[in-house]
Amino acid sequence: MVFLFNIFYQFGDSLAFLLLAAIGLAVIFGMMKIINLAHGEFITVGAYGTVVSGKVFNLPLPIAMAFGVIVTIIFGLILEKLVIRYLYGRPLDSVVATWGISLIVSQSFLVIFGPSYEGLQTPMGNFQLGEFSYSEYRIFLIFFALFILFLLYYLFMKTSFGTLARATIENPSISSSMGVDVKNVYTATFAIGAGLAGLTGALYAPTMTIVPSIGQAFIVSAFITVVTAGASPFVGLVPAAAFLGMVQTSVTFYYKSTIGLIAILCAVILIIRYLPNGFSGLILKTKSK
Amino acid sequence: MKSSYKKNKLQIITFLILGSLPLFIDSYYLDNFSYFMCWTFISLGLAVIWGMGGILSFGQTAFFGLAGYGFSVISINFLGVAGVSLWSIILALMLTGVFGLIVGYFLFYGGIYDVFIGIVTLAITLVLETFMQQTAGPEYTIGEARLNGFNGMQGMPIIGFENIPFGLVEGVTQYYFILILSILVLISLYKFKSSKMGLIFLASKEDRDRVSSLGHNVQKIQLIGFTIASVLAGISGILYTNWGSYITPDSMGLVSAALPVVYVAASGKKDFFSVFIGCIFFVWLSQTLAVNGKQFAIIVMGLILVIATRFFPDGIILMLKNKLIEKVKWLQS
Repeated sequence: MVFLFNIFYQFGDSLAFLLLAAIGLAVIFGMMKIINLAHGEFITVGAYGTVVSGKVFNLPLPIAMAFGVIVTIIFGLILEKLVIRYLYGRPLDSVVATWGISLIVSQSFLVIFGPSYEGLQTPMGNFQLGEFSYSEYRIFLIFFALFILFLLYYLFMKTSFGTLARATIENPSISSSMGVDVKNVYTATFAIGAGLAGLTGALYAPTMTIVPSIGQAFIVSAFITVVTAGASPFVGLVPAAAFLGMVQTSVTFYYKSTIGLIAILCAVILIIRYLPNGFSGLILKTKSK
Repeated sequence: MKSSYKKNKLQIITFLILGSLPLFIDSYYLDNFSYFMCWTFISLGLAVIWGMGGILSFGQTAFFGLAGYGFSVISINFLGVAGVSLWSIILALMLTGVFGLIVGYFLFYGGIYDVFIGIVTLAITLVLETFMQQTAGPEYTIGEARLNGFNGMQGMPIIGFENIPFGLVEGVTQYYFILILSILVLISLYKFKSSKMGLIFLASKEDRDRVSSLGHNVQKIQLIGFTIASVLAGISGILYTNWGSYITPDSMGLVSAALPVVYVAASGKKDFFSVFIGCIFFVWLSQTLAVNGKQFAIIVMGLILVIATRFFPDGIILMLKNKLIEKVKWLQS
């Protein structure tokens, strides 16, 4: 029983991490076909927004987190206005430009905040089961990640904004001639993606050491999850994260965590080789049969 | 002969200047110049795969690091055997080439395209970095060579022959070694670009499906282009390792992986010569800026990358080169 729970906990922890790391990236990539290499830095902005506002203004954690998310959204909007907007339809250039942004932001954080910043305490308590102790906050994160994904599904599939967004992605020129303000839809989608990345940073800020490269801890996981999920992230994200989480947990269980990371990277390379459209491609294919 | 001189006047003049440089500058700056030129090969490789083939690989530093580590391990292990460093160059480049072939096979025959190639290659680089970071323990020893984890490897012998005057690749010899190598590489790349295979590779950037429906094996040509790029990155890795007798896992990290992309994007990815000149210029610039702290240099490099992609998608150096050629033509007429 304890053994089973232990495995569930490890698996859930890595599932939540992969899902939350990937979610903002998946929205921007899935809806706009832009690979945002500055995704990690959005997470960094969210984490620093949370920690700095929590420390400096003594805000309670949930409000500090909300502050972190808002800062990231504003940051994303500014970037969209200045750079990203001009690169729609040039996917490779957008990758390169966001990489430049990533360099600027991560090094600026290093200059402004120094190599490390005092973190916050992990909220909620711990509970004991057998000889192991578990963090309640990490259990909360698992369910919260699934909840966010559900909200997003609802937003993009059931609301009128979602319909507009999907129509714009499907065919920008027809949508535009039907009276949709294509530019605003792109801006809004980018802002949502940025906000989600900020949320990830805010949620993990109390659990990690706050360093300027904090976003880099997420970016690899984010990319491999999105790539494994395939072209339609809402369908593929959960199975992709579950699969990768399983590989990582089982390998980490027997070896060490760096080998776990290497194992999922190898798994991803194999998946791309044999399932080029990722899990969503596989699911949609079996569905249409 | 005369026509080829006319066409490549700018290139020939540049290399004459570069060739006579040791007469004018002292050995400290000459060593610095060798360092700048170490980076031209990885940038030229990126220009092949990205500028010609339209495939953006972020993983060039993986090959850079692999070749650097491979060279170190082999040359440390066979220390004292005559001609060892030359063999270790060849073996390390073969290792890099084979690794490039395997990765490329997975990419192109696996039907991975566009931005996904960037992600997978970046993932490979980061795997190698993560693995190397944790090899500090004594259990990670290959023969005599300890991989040394995040501290990096050092103490590899200098390339060349000890008992011949100017036989060791350091100082002036190193400068000419790199210069001649880069001239050879540039000439071969121009040859490749105008060959049949190069033209198909160029065409595959515009429309992959159309080229393959004309009966060309696009995957094979992309694989060849990718392997050429990986070997070029490997040459940079070996020269860099030899220059400083030093290689660390950081040379494969996220920031290091971005730098060649900056050099190539800002120089003009479609023109090898612009990439060569631009690479030297931008490495010099980033080294000069790094005097006040490495972070500032990286911030400026990031800014250059953003500005270049936003305003000068064809590259700043290429634009300047075309302006210069126009001006000269205008003056002559």
